[in-house]
Amino acid sequence: MAIQTILVINRSGGLVYQRDFLPSAAKLTSNEYLILAGTLQGVVAIASQIAPKSLQISAKQGAKTGSELGDATQTVPYVGSLGSSAASAADLGSFLGPDFFNESFTSWNTKGLKHVTTDQNSLFLYQTLTGLKFVAVSTQNTTNAMAVSIAENLLRKAYCLYADYVMKNPFYEPEMPIRCELFDKKLGELVAQL
Amino acid sequence: MAIYSFWVFDRHCNCIFDREWTLKSNQSSGTTNSKLNEDTAKLLYGMVYSLRSISQKLAGNEAHNEIRTIATGKYRAHILCTASGLWFILLSDLKQEDLSHVLRYLYGEIYVKTVAHNWLSPIDFAESEAEKRGQGFRKIRNRNFLLRVEQFLGPMVN
Repeated sequence: MAIQTILVINRSGGLVYQRDFLPSAAKLTSNEYLILAGTLQGVVAIASQIAPKSLQISAKQGAKTGSELGDATQTVPYVGSLGSSAASAADLGSFLGPDFFNESFTSWNTKGLKHVTTDQNSLFLYQTLTGLKFVAVSTQNTTNAMAVSIAENLLRKAYCLYADYVMKNPFYEPEMPIRCELFDKKLGELVAQL
Repeated sequence: MAIYSFWVFDRHCNCIFDREWTLKSNQSSGTTNSKLNEDTAKLLYGMVYSLRSISQKLAGNEAHNEIRTIATGKYRAHILCTASGLWFILLSDLKQEDLSHVLRYLYGEIYVKTVAHNWLSPIDFAESEAEKRGQGFRKIRNRNFLLRVEQFLGPMVN
């Protein structure tokens, strides 16, 4: 699985970061990427609206009987160090230990869009509690649950980098495009590990 | 529950068939060609249309890149787009990873044989110009189609 592009979308649906990792991949103009980000934001909202009726019924019944089956939180398993462990010796900013995290984590995106496959690509979406979205486009179409959890782990690590190198940058204005060299560099290293 | 609903859209952006199951225990539960599903059908169409345009952009100007599945936290949609502009969409739970063979069967063995090869069935489900912009209301009401869809998909509901 090769990562073709990583996008970061802010909570109002604007593209704040975009980077291509494969030189061979199809080139889109920055305007097209902006449209893509806006479209994805809209689709996330729509996808949560069209839950099948049987799920709505079972959620209602679950609420009546007091069981939490209706809105069970989903956890994503921790996938050990992605690819080579050579880079794990490097420092992880303000994170200690051999990796950013080492336990399974909750997926906050319970209703919205998570994963799209096409003939050639697959798109993975990781949503944070603050509404920020990380999108990875890979060059392989797979619906395998393992691939999805690997992608979520990768994007959560990208979020850790965001927390470190973008949020702690005094020159960064919230919701504006990200121009941080360190974030660029570390994200490149993270994707190269795969 | 393994599959939740099945939808067919034509090239005029109209939903021409919908079937939604609501109870796992009862294969004949739910609705067929329901008026209540009109809004859901439009939302579903919009979602697939948007993601389809994204996937076509990502492919560049090389071979076309059709959308296959869309997964959310609660369900997965499987999509088959035909060259004649028909979309077959099947909503299932997240355990079903790829149902493209099911969609192929629904198109090739059920739709083609009972609707396309049927002289009594209209070729196009929009009869006037006014119905060609997503305003259509005609549905597939062919008895054989309904029966065979029910026979084929019914056992997959639970």
